[in-house]
Amino acid sequence: MKRKLILLKRVLGAGLKNFVRNSWLSVAATAVMVVALIIILSTVVLNVTARNAITDLSKNLQVSVYLKDSASPSDVKRLQNDLLLNKYVSSVSYVSSAEAQQQFSQSYQNDQQLLESLALVGSGSLPASLEVSVSNLSKMQEVGAIPLEPTYNSTVDSVTLGKTDVKKTITRAASAQHYITTVSLGLAIVFAVVSMLIIFNTIRMAIFTRAEEIRIMKLLGATPSYIRGPFLVESSIYGVIAGLIAASLVMAAIYSLLGKVSTQSEFSATYSLFTQHRIVVAMYVGAVLVGILVGIISSMFAMEKHLKLKNW
Amino acid sequence: MILLDRVTKSYNNRGTALKSVSLHIEPKEFVIIVGPSGAGKSTLLKLLTREEKPNSGKIIVSGIDYETLKDRSIPMLRRRIGVVFQDYKLLPHKNVFENIAFALEIVGMGNREIRHTIPRVLTIVGLTGKEKNFPSELSGGERQRLAIARAVVRQPKILIADEPTGNLDPKHAWDVIRVLEKINKYGTTVILTTHNQEIVNKLKRRVITIKDGQIISDRAGGAYK
Repeated sequence: MKRKLILLKRVLGAGLKNFVRNSWLSVAATAVMVVALIIILSTVVLNVTARNAITDLSKNLQVSVYLKDSASPSDVKRLQNDLLLNKYVSSVSYVSSAEAQQQFSQSYQNDQQLLESLALVGSGSLPASLEVSVSNLSKMQEVGAIPLEPTYNSTVDSVTLGKTDVKKTITRAASAQHYITTVSLGLAIVFAVVSMLIIFNTIRMAIFTRAEEIRIMKLLGATPSYIRGPFLVESSIYGVIAGLIAASLVMAAIYSLLGKVSTQSEFSATYSLFTQHRIVVAMYVGAVLVGILVGIISSMFAMEKHLKLKNW
Repeated sequence: MILLDRVTKSYNNRGTALKSVSLHIEPKEFVIIVGPSGAGKSTLLKLLTREEKPNSGKIIVSGIDYETLKDRSIPMLRRRIGVVFQDYKLLPHKNVFENIAFALEIVGMGNREIRHTIPRVLTIVGLTGKEKNFPSELSGGERQRLAIARAVVRQPKILIADEPTGNLDPKHAWDVIRVLEKINKYGTTVILTTHNQEIVNKLKRRVITIKDGQIISDRAGGAYK
């Protein structure tokens, strides 16, 4: 047990020494891995941001059903119940003509001219409506079709899908999310491969430099794990350093960029999520683990090809 | 201690290096293997250190049958056999102390034990006071004695010396041979290959002559033919 600990200590020491000895190659390998990890982490952050923003915006998805002046309260009630039967409808609220006017006046309180025009037309100029909240963007058409059924001809005047520009925004956000995911995954793969190639070459050169030493080690009875160990340690160090730098840079970006828009409802959930202690720790641990994995895989390839430990 | 039974080794590009060689070496023996270049001496030694595998035949060293030896056990086998090479195979960026320590470090010996062990072996090979010198600062004979020190520091039961005097002048060659004799006196089996007629004739030890991959003579107290 004591001997194993001594050997482990020596392997760690030799790995660290290799890392320092190949300082320029180490910097290059680490830098490219930092880029790859930043892209991977950013993909995660952007995806979560887009998804949270869409969820938040979706709360505002509304189908407005404008009622005819002649609509009877019983028909309106029937339509209201019919809408609530649809599973994508989260709520239906009745807005009377007077309430609509009041909301309009509040919304445009700075536009005196518009308000004066409205007063001129009279208090009953805006129709009563049913404001239907829909939980799923793609089901708006389906929900919007309910009031247009013939049975409500005498009740419903018109139907508007999406009271505001929310629908467009959500569509844009969803396609942006898809685009960001595809592009960043592609970039992450490219940079991960480049970083693997650099590490592969770094380890290959280290093996060539130490070829004679490795041969002597073999003849003196060193075990394969003792010979491989320092190379694995060296490539893991790239992963650890790259992971820590990448996670720190992404966290700095979250604090500075997302922090600026954190008061907006679309981004507040994301900001509070990524500033939670456990999520910060998870980001660091995740980045370091991915970095170590990339480093170890690359050096395993290099050792498999050039160390020839199978041929004793 | 060492048994070879009808061992044959051939290479695809060089033909047969050893043809049905049988050999028995007792513990604590000092055996000299002679023969012209390409006779198969080095192949024989490489078979013993398991750098090469025979095509047929049986090799048993210290009770270990190489036929059943797993790859993962090869390092343990090599720790029982010390090897000295003609070209020394020293690490140029390590000093005398570090070169010897290297053999102990890879088996997990603690630093204190290493510091305690190395002076003893330096005394045996006559390199006391040269601990801090690098190989480039040593003479050929000193380098070879350093290589011997590294090979015996783990107190192996067998020491293989593959033409250790090949690059040395007569005085330094004899220094190296005296060290090997001393080590043999302490109880280590020594297998020496050499071209040096004078050494073989003066040592009067068991001499095995190999030619064209076959043992053509094996005589105790023999001489160079």
